[in-house]
Amino acid sequence: MLILGRRLPAPPAPPLALLQGLPRLPWVWAVAGVAALLGAAILGVLVGPVHIGLGTVVQAVLAPIPWFGASSVDPSQASILWSLRIPRVVLGALVGGMLATAGAAYQGVFRNPLADPYLLGAAAGANLGATLAIAFAPGSSLIGVNLVPLAGFVGAALAVAGAYALGRTVTGLRNTIGLILAGVAIAAFFNAIQTYIQQAQTNNIRQVYSWILGRLVTAGWDGVLLVLPYVAISVAVILLHRRLLDALSVGDEEVTSLGISARRVRLIVVVAATLGTAAVVAIAGTIAFVGIIIPHTVRLLVGRSYRVVIPLSLLFGAAFLVLADTAARTVAAPAELPIGVITAFIGAPFFIVVMRSTRAAAL
Amino acid sequence: MREHHMRWAVIAATTIALTACAATSSNTPSSPAAAHFPVTITEASGAGVTITQQPHRIVSLSPTATEMLFAIDAGSQVVAVDDQSNYPPSAPLTKLSGFTPSIEAIAAYAPDLVVAADDTGGLVHGIGALHIPVLIEPAAKNLDDSYREIGQLGAATGRVPEASALEKKMRSDLAAIVASIPKPARQLKVYHELDDTYYSATSATFIGQVYALLGLKNIADGATAAAPDYPQLSAEYIVASSPDLIVLADTKCCHQGLSTVAARPGWSSIAAVKSGQVIGVDDDIASRWGPRVVDFLRTIAPHVKQLEVRAA
Amino acid sequence: MTKVELRGVGIAYESEVVVSELDLTVSSGEWLALIGPNGAGKTTILRAIARLVSYQGEIQIDGKAVHNLTGRELARRVAMVMQEPHMPDGMSVSQYVLLGRSPHLTYFGKEGRTDHRVVADILERLSLDRLAARPLDHLSGGERQRAAIARALAQQAPVLLVDEPTSSLDVGRQQEVLELIDALRAEQGLTVIAAMHELTLAGQYADRLALLVGGKLVAVGAPADVLTEPAIAIHYHAHVRVLSLNGSGRAVVPVRSHLPSPPGEVVP
Repeated sequence: MLILGRRLPAPPAPPLALLQGLPRLPWVWAVAGVAALLGAAILGVLVGPVHIGLGTVVQAVLAPIPWFGASSVDPSQASILWSLRIPRVVLGALVGGMLATAGAAYQGVFRNPLADPYLLGAAAGANLGATLAIAFAPGSSLIGVNLVPLAGFVGAALAVAGAYALGRTVTGLRNTIGLILAGVAIAAFFNAIQTYIQQAQTNNIRQVYSWILGRLVTAGWDGVLLVLPYVAISVAVILLHRRLLDALSVGDEEVTSLGISARRVRLIVVVAATLGTAAVVAIAGTIAFVGIIIPHTVRLLVGRSYRVVIPLSLLFGAAFLVLADTAARTVAAPAELPIGVITAFIGAPFFIVVMRSTRAAAL
Repeated sequence: MREHHMRWAVIAATTIALTACAATSSNTPSSPAAAHFPVTITEASGAGVTITQQPHRIVSLSPTATEMLFAIDAGSQVVAVDDQSNYPPSAPLTKLSGFTPSIEAIAAYAPDLVVAADDTGGLVHGIGALHIPVLIEPAAKNLDDSYREIGQLGAATGRVPEASALEKKMRSDLAAIVASIPKPARQLKVYHELDDTYYSATSATFIGQVYALLGLKNIADGATAAAPDYPQLSAEYIVASSPDLIVLADTKCCHQGLSTVAARPGWSSIAAVKSGQVIGVDDDIASRWGPRVVDFLRTIAPHVKQLEVRAA
Repeated sequence: MTKVELRGVGIAYESEVVVSELDLTVSSGEWLALIGPNGAGKTTILRAIARLVSYQGEIQIDGKAVHNLTGRELARRVAMVMQEPHMPDGMSVSQYVLLGRSPHLTYFGKEGRTDHRVVADILERLSLDRLAARPLDHLSGGERQRAAIARALAQQAPVLLVDEPTSSLDVGRQQEVLELIDALRAEQGLTVIAAMHELTLAGQYADRLALLVGGKLVAVGAPADVLTEPAIAIHYHAHVRVLSLNGSGRAVVPVRSHLPSPPGEVVP
């Protein structure tokens, strides 16, 4: 018997498991995600190009806590841990979690499995901004912040805004294809300018190159503080859109008939994801692959609902990048490897294994 | 492979043309320099480049070669240098690129010799097709490479005595600087910084060889397994190595100095930062293998001396 | 009691006029079928009522102009079942039907117990309860159509727009779905507007038929008045016989104008 809710008295509280088949974040996976992140973080703090014993690490980590304070840790080792290693692990988690979350959000908003956070030109914009700063205003800073990340942030935001404006005028945002094409055009244009400047300024080529490859090398706590607010806001907004991202999967027209404005959802999610991505790219460079591989792995292993994909992408993306960065600074120690190389080198084969073992019909 | 063959063919053709030329002009009185031609120079790669007459329209696409040419008094024979050749100031700077060379733009100067550090963008093939000799003088691995390149440029330009005089002067200047430094009580560690993402240079590079002259231990040598010449060091490793001397070859590119280095997270515990032995050098001087290596050593030496006096 | 009124409605895609000067009133609890040859504008009219295309003129639901309502307000009054609803792979039936609760939630809102209760009841009513956890891509054609109707019902809107509810279904499933819509209409007093190309079924289930040709309304009335052989011959360019069935409306049967001669028979 169907009850039309409005004029009838409120029904008695039903049991919780009234409906079967609703997407819920499986607690096993939630725990696994938290465990993976913690494990990666612990490994990241323990392992590094400079050997620091387990006891020393524990002492140094506990040192700032009262009662444990009386430690006898060598100040240089304590400074390596607290000024270099721990902020780098934290930054890696923020960057990885942000890129994976933004990737999942973009895939939902564009209903396109190949979407990544750089789809609308964020990477090209950041690269151009950074290259301009490196080439024409080397070593400058604005209000105490190094100009290069600032220019990267502005470049990324401008590129996405440009793509959005272009997509809007050309196709009126009736569908996402126009927007994606606008992003491709903007990215190609920005890349062309960036390459031109790079060619003309060959003495800066290594700096530009190392920026593009991505690095968590030099940021320290300053980098963490710089990206944290953006990442927090961006991730919170995207998490709040889990239900709407699921709803978008029925298509713009049907979602409109359900009283949801697809354009508004898309605009808010793209703005939030771009803000976070731009901040992260500004500090860490354009680290590829995380935004695609992590959400898809979650989809293949756990489920396709964004109520599952978004929170798990956040956790596993963070864990993955912390691990990748640990590899980047230890594999060739004491030399660094570019982190983008590691993410693709570990990520691609892992993704192939996941795809083969789940034999998923469609992504 | 194919390009190589072409190059030999071009060289053979040039040689023939040259011999003919030399035969007709044998009557004219010639200076001692001109008498030295034709000359064949064997490059580091093993290839031979034959120059038939003393060149008077040289195009240099290598900043180091430009410095060398001017130091052996061949500057008057140089008509154009690439956009990176900023020393000496009297060099005829142009917008030519040594990185992505334009054959046409180079040919427009009607050169009789082109000098470059790399054969990029089909340079040798393209210029060779115009029957213009191209001399490649690649990045030196050590001082001996440098002296050899100076000698080759002397031979190629008819400035042999000037070249050997320059070599002699460099050798004696360097020896004097090295001799002025007391024997170290303990080996001092140096970190040479190429940019602010901690790229460095090992002892397998020219600049690394210079540090070896001073008896310094280069911390980048720990990373040769990853990259034999220019590894990117991890910050942890630099801090843990606590070098006694930090040489910043990124003062121009990245505006680094003692204050920016001291402000880096964790770097305040490094010996060189504590003692203020953080030396900013001109990026260009530190990245070229020309005669100004003497200036570089002269900048570094007093700091090493100070450190060793203090240590002793 | 919900009445739908269209006054002088005109709809154009780019510069091509698809519907013009349309006046139509659908009374509360009525089932109106939009019929007409392909390209007559049936689907376009449904899309205009759901405000999925822009239109000129006035569309009112219970005296309220559609263009003055917010998206959520409209979705609480009008639910639409598309002809080919997009069913995301991997999404379960219950999750899909729960999407129908969107107009009752705030932007960042989350479905509560009431919403779950409503969906559970609908799934039970439509015999989908055993399929609740099944992914949409594992459903048969009839099950998919029921799931789509269930999602529209979850909106609890008094007006149900249905675009070709029986296309791609076998005859048994066609009857099943139409009986279901009819029963729901009776139970809940829904006003149903359906685009239907199957004239016999339209005649059997709808209270009134509106015949559209080239975006213009040419006839509206009871099935017996609209489904006539001359009208169908003119507007559909079809040769049909309209048979009167005992007490259950009319059947429109296509006939070949020149029957091939049976073998052996001598043609005079």
